[in-house]
Amino acid sequence: MTIIATYNIKGGVGKTSTAVNLAFLAAQENYKTLIWDLDPQGASSYYFRVKPKIKGGSKALIAGERELDGLIKATDFDNLDLLPADFSFRNLDLVLDERKKPTQRLKKLLAPLAEEYDFIFLDCPPNISLLSEAIFEASQLLLSPIIPTTLSLRTLEQLKKHIKDNKLKKIQLLPFFSMADRRKKMHREIIETLALQHPDILNSVIPYASDIERMGLERMPLAGYIGKSRSTEAYKSLWQEVKMFV
Amino acid sequence: MMERPLYFEFPSNLTVKKFLNKLGKSQDFEIFNQQYTIKTFYDSFDWRLYGAGINCELRQSKLCSELLLTNNKTGQLVARVETEDVPQFYQQFTDITFAQQLAPHLEMRALLSVCSLPLETYQVNILNKDQKTILRLRIDEYELLNNRIEICPLKGYEKAHKNIAHFLQEKIDLSAAPYSTVLNEVLKQQGKRPQDYCSKLVINLKPDMRADKACKLIYKQLLQAIEINEVGTIANIDSEFLHDFRVAIRRTRAGLSQFKNTLTEEAVTTHASFFAWLGKITGKTRDLDVYLLSYPQYKALLPLTLQNDIAPLYDFLVQKQTEAQKELAEQLSSYEYRRQLVAWKEYLHEKLPSETLEANAGLSIYQLANIRIKKVYQMVLKEGALIDKDSPAEALHDLRKTCKKLRYLMEFFQSLYPEKEIKQLIKSLKGFQAILGDFQDYEVQELSIKEFSTEMMQNHVPANTLLAMGVLVQYLDSMKCNAREQFSEQFALFIEPQNRAMFKQLFSVKEA
Repeated sequence: MTIIATYNIKGGVGKTSTAVNLAFLAAQENYKTLIWDLDPQGASSYYFRVKPKIKGGSKALIAGERELDGLIKATDFDNLDLLPADFSFRNLDLVLDERKKPTQRLKKLLAPLAEEYDFIFLDCPPNISLLSEAIFEASQLLLSPIIPTTLSLRTLEQLKKHIKDNKLKKIQLLPFFSMADRRKKMHREIIETLALQHPDILNSVIPYASDIERMGLERMPLAGYIGKSRSTEAYKSLWQEVKMFV
Repeated sequence: MMERPLYFEFPSNLTVKKFLNKLGKSQDFEIFNQQYTIKTFYDSFDWRLYGAGINCELRQSKLCSELLLTNNKTGQLVARVETEDVPQFYQQFTDITFAQQLAPHLEMRALLSVCSLPLETYQVNILNKDQKTILRLRIDEYELLNNRIEICPLKGYEKAHKNIAHFLQEKIDLSAAPYSTVLNEVLKQQGKRPQDYCSKLVINLKPDMRADKACKLIYKQLLQAIEINEVGTIANIDSEFLHDFRVAIRRTRAGLSQFKNTLTEEAVTTHASFFAWLGKITGKTRDLDVYLLSYPQYKALLPLTLQNDIAPLYDFLVQKQTEAQKELAEQLSSYEYRRQLVAWKEYLHEKLPSETLEANAGLSIYQLANIRIKKVYQMVLKEGALIDKDSPAEALHDLRKTCKKLRYLMEFFQSLYPEKEIKQLIKSLKGFQAILGDFQDYEVQELSIKEFSTEMMQNHVPANTLLAMGVLVQYLDSMKCNAREQFSEQFALFIEPQNRAMFKQLFSVKEA
């Protein structure tokens, strides 16, 4: 089982659409796949038409009163399940803080799912908190979308520093450009410059595209309503690259 | 816990259209897809998958072609692979999981198509108010059978599964149908039945039956086995056809030599020579089949550094087997073979004289069975007792042959004896035979591989291949010695007092 977190300190950078589309591609390749929607906004739950509610809320979940397996919902796609969000996840930090070894908690909760799933995608809320630390402990890959803007690059530096300062050696950070608008000169320039400065940034670039935005209307992964487009190809390419680190 | 799929059968007058109309009155649904499908069931010739509770079916439609392994009682999916063609042998599947599921059941047997049927398949999704699928229905619409529906639960939506099951039973009056019934019903329509072939001998004899009549009955069953396996042997579908063909021949030969004075001497002499010839012409191909089947073990016996060097032996064996098989197929398609087989068949169907002519023909089969088994058992004891650590290999080979005769006799006549006891004695004999068989097999293989190496040397095979074969001969020799060392222990087990007492008690001549 490989746990992949889609994470960025900043919001609105394409974390959810990355988690949803890559999880879909993994499932299409017959990998048993789960998405855990950890964001109280419940966007990935929404994309899969699943009610963002779990019995007992975050408290019962983190306390381990309910096994994760019993909270999982099948999506409309083969091999792809979802652990829905809950509004109470806004307090996940506080709930975690009440536990002993809070940063180990997610890892422990996910361990029993190792038999059942090949890939687990954690769709994370933005910010850097106790929850993010628990996510870093639980995940093997940290997939971080960055918009090609100077501000986004600053947050990438912050994230790298955090990983270094906290000696998180087991996690592999995989940054990639997201919402890249080729019509914008600045986007093009930043992508070109940074590719040279930061060889760790993946080659695949997810475009800023209206068909990705339509996910909210269609309420399903991109490939569920579109045959072949620049966006679908970009996610496929990203998934191929990510798999090389598994 | 996730619910299991449920299966229901439609009444004969319920079409899918009518069903969907009824369903639509209480559920929101979408027809996700509808397609013409051909379903083909697969199994080995001797129904190994069916016997193991596994259903193997190829579903071909415009959208996809998939081979499914399912539990034939619960319908639970065991393995699935997308494929246009079904490979014959489990080793030929590129999907390792699929191959691993088949391997322990199929072993060396080929997957053969059992029957096919056309149908229209529908995938219907039951939706909630967010248009999210909460349950899947798979409907199979058949031309010749009642339609069937499978309710496939989705994780986290167990309640919907229960509600629909209740709705189908109570409101639409569908009846639960075990998953396996489709195959059984198709076969029934074709006048066939599952497990219609089994290599095990099952002959029901009545103890007071006249010995000559009972013997003919046994021969008839063996002839049937010969005829059933003949086509597969000639076509070389898999090595088990020839194996079963040869076993039936050997059993017939054992009968001809062991059912003494039941049929006329003239008949026995004439037909015994035919079966001896059959034994001879099939031997070479079978030996090569055995070497090919043993090849993975041969390879595994070698040190890692030599395992790839043995490959030319495999190619050599394949080539030899192909030649031998071709020759065998020609012999089995010859006029002479057909003539003699028909003569034997006609003889078996000839009416027996009302007055018996041969000395043992008038005995009851129970009397004859007791006499023969007792006699051959005594021979086994005598031959076994004479073997010590200095005895020549021939002594063990002779004992192996005598044991085989005893085993065949016990199997021919097992319906005459209490099931539990006879099975126990056959089992103990089987255990003893295993060690004698191993000794013989390793010796023959050792000698053959030596011979092959001489032949291969003329074909200029790499030196390392010959080296690997030399190492293999060494391993086979040590395994042969190991089997030889175990002989006295296994013989002691076979002749332990409890076994002897049971033999004595079971086969003492009594009136039927």
